[in-house]
Amino acid sequence: MQKEEIIQDAGEIPVAASAKYNESIHEDLTAKLFFISSITYFFIVGIIAVLIAAKFVMPTLLGTVPQLTYGRLRPLHVNGMLFGWLLACDMALMYYVVPRLCGVKLWSEKLGVATNILWNFIILSAVVSFLMGWNQGWEYAELPFFLDVCVVIAWIMFGANLFLTIANRKYQTMYVTLWYAMGTVLWTAFVYLTGNFATLFTTGVNQANLNWMYVHNAVGLIFTPVGLAIAYYFIPKASNTPLYSHKLSMIGFWSLAFVYVWTGAHHMLHGPISQWLQTITVVFSVMLLVPVWAAVYNFFATMQGQWHQLRENVSLKFLMSGVVFYLLTCFQGPMHSLHVVNAIVSKTDWIPGHAHMAVLGAFSFFAIAGTYYAVPRVFKTNLYSTALGNWSFWLFLVGGLGFFVTLWLGGFWQGWQWNNPAIPFIDTVVALKPVWTFRLFSGFFMFGGIVTFAYNILATIIGAKGQGVETQAAAA
Amino acid sequence: MLSKADYSAPFFVAAALVLFFIGGLLTTVVPPLIDTSWSKPFENNDPANGPTGKLRQLNEQELKGRQIYIREGCWYCHTQQVRTILADTKRYGWRGVDAPVSTPDEFVYDSPHLFGTKRTGPDLARVGGKYNAQWHKTHFKNPADLVPGSIMPPFPWIANDPQELDALVAYLQTLGRAKNWRPDNDYEK
Ligand code: HEC
Repeated sequence: MQKEEIIQDAGEIPVAASAKYNESIHEDLTAKLFFISSITYFFIVGIIAVLIAAKFVMPTLLGTVPQLTYGRLRPLHVNGMLFGWLLACDMALMYYVVPRLCGVKLWSEKLGVATNILWNFIILSAVVSFLMGWNQGWEYAELPFFLDVCVVIAWIMFGANLFLTIANRKYQTMYVTLWYAMGTVLWTAFVYLTGNFATLFTTGVNQANLNWMYVHNAVGLIFTPVGLAIAYYFIPKASNTPLYSHKLSMIGFWSLAFVYVWTGAHHMLHGPISQWLQTITVVFSVMLLVPVWAAVYNFFATMQGQWHQLRENVSLKFLMSGVVFYLLTCFQGPMHSLHVVNAIVSKTDWIPGHAHMAVLGAFSFFAIAGTYYAVPRVFKTNLYSTALGNWSFWLFLVGGLGFFVTLWLGGFWQGWQWNNPAIPFIDTVVALKPVWTFRLFSGFFMFGGIVTFAYNILATIIGAKGQGVETQAAAA
Repeated sequence: MLSKADYSAPFFVAAALVLFFIGGLLTTVVPPLIDTSWSKPFENNDPANGPTGKLRQLNEQELKGRQIYIREGCWYCHTQQVRTILADTKRYGWRGVDAPVSTPDEFVYDSPHLFGTKRTGPDLARVGGKYNAQWHKTHFKNPADLVPGSIMPPFPWIANDPQELDALVAYLQTLGRAKNWRPDNDYEK
């Protein structure tokens, strides 16, 4: 009886819907391939991550090999994590979630598999390009032009598959996760074109403005909406609790759609860019608190009375700590855009601390949570080990916190020293060495998290082969 | 009003794009139309208006050096902007003279722009003329030999390749020199 009422409200669909139709309509081949590729890249690029952290402590490490110099490995790390791991895993989760919320099969598994092949081609070519130093010179848009074109094609293939699935849907009302999924596809398309194509026709400050619009929104209008799509689906699912408020999720979504895109120029505060543009960007940056709080409040309110579930549930642990990190990052962001704060933290090591909290602490945590939930289901088996899952959580959490906190403290101190011109620059470098050493050790913990996570998923997939037969036999 | 987007995908798409494009267009296409200094190369002949000078385009060798700067990712560790912060103008000044703040008109020919986001090393916006070629060569071989405690990576493959070294140094020497601000001009004098 109660269940029936729940379905009336679009906000409750993810929890209730699965009971209404047969899970077995889903083939999930595309999702499987994207899970496997993304986790492989997570592991490989994790090694690069540790290596560049080590270079801050030992600058001559592998220093005579041009292909392994810091300036070539850093874009490999950033692009590899963003596009090889995180976006690919987000895509896997969208291929998993969207058909389920629509109550129909994915529009085309063939197209999905082709998308996966193209995506892997892009990532592998990117690795070669970066090692060779073929770099276009724009942050997040380093990839050679040819690969930019491939990304656009892959994105159209991805978007078409999702939109056509949604067009075929059985449920008329679209749950909030679907909005975020669609928003991601649409906005990303334009944000990506701005950062990788429009920049070609401009120079100087004009180009930088477009570049920052892209960089900022790569996080704000790609990873944020797809991350929230995941959180909105898996928090209710993993806790088996309906979402607290549909209305609040609407407020969050539409304010995000309007506000985010204005804030790119806050990367140039105090820099050579018009004052009035700086003012606009500060105002809108502070307004970002609205969509953030709307989403975070909704998640917390959903979990009310359910927090005890965190103890047993690996996915929920990642999800809810991800929400906390999301709140913190999104509180930091607007604060950085206030001129007084910016004058201290901008260009320092604080910023990578902040960026990692967003992309690792919030959005990768969401993606990992979704993976822990979805992989056993698409492979029709159980997670290999919950204990190992908990280990991966604690390793990520301890490593992540160590990383964020040391870089904030170190970065703040660094900015403070820079603002005293009597201190020679090199002294501010030497002063940070303990910070970078500590960061490296946090990196080992995070890498431990990656290894345990990847191993757990791998073992789940391999174990699934034998079990699959059993489940089939049981079904027959 | 927007609740129609709950069940109509076409309405949703339209609304999501309209909201996005308001800010999108107003912050990307419009600003350069309003602030023309973004596209007008720096030129000043009147000392009363601050440092004099004229922005010129880079020659072939300097462009090659710039390409090396991009290839090796120097821009991940070095910014090129003296910000409107007092400490920036002091720190990157020279012999007691403050470095002029960077202005949009100094970067009109830059593509890709190299403003940067992170200062693992010092800002290079005004480094042109600060050191001579020999200094740079020694520095690229192994920075820590010249500046103890430096974590800048060594670039022996550049230091040992006269063509690449000359190009990179030629590029570095152009940085920030559209504005003629150094008191005795520079190391060359
Ligand atoms: C890992 C970060 C890093 C990378 C990459 C890097 N540098 Fe540096 N750079 C530093 C640090 C730290 C210093 C300060 C200590 C020193 O002078 O060596 C510095 C100093 C300098 C200086 C001296 C500036 C001054 O005002 O004293 C120049 C010039 C320079 N770097 C040029 C380059 C060039 C050109 C490249 C690329 C080929 C490059 N750097 C790559 C970190 C880096």
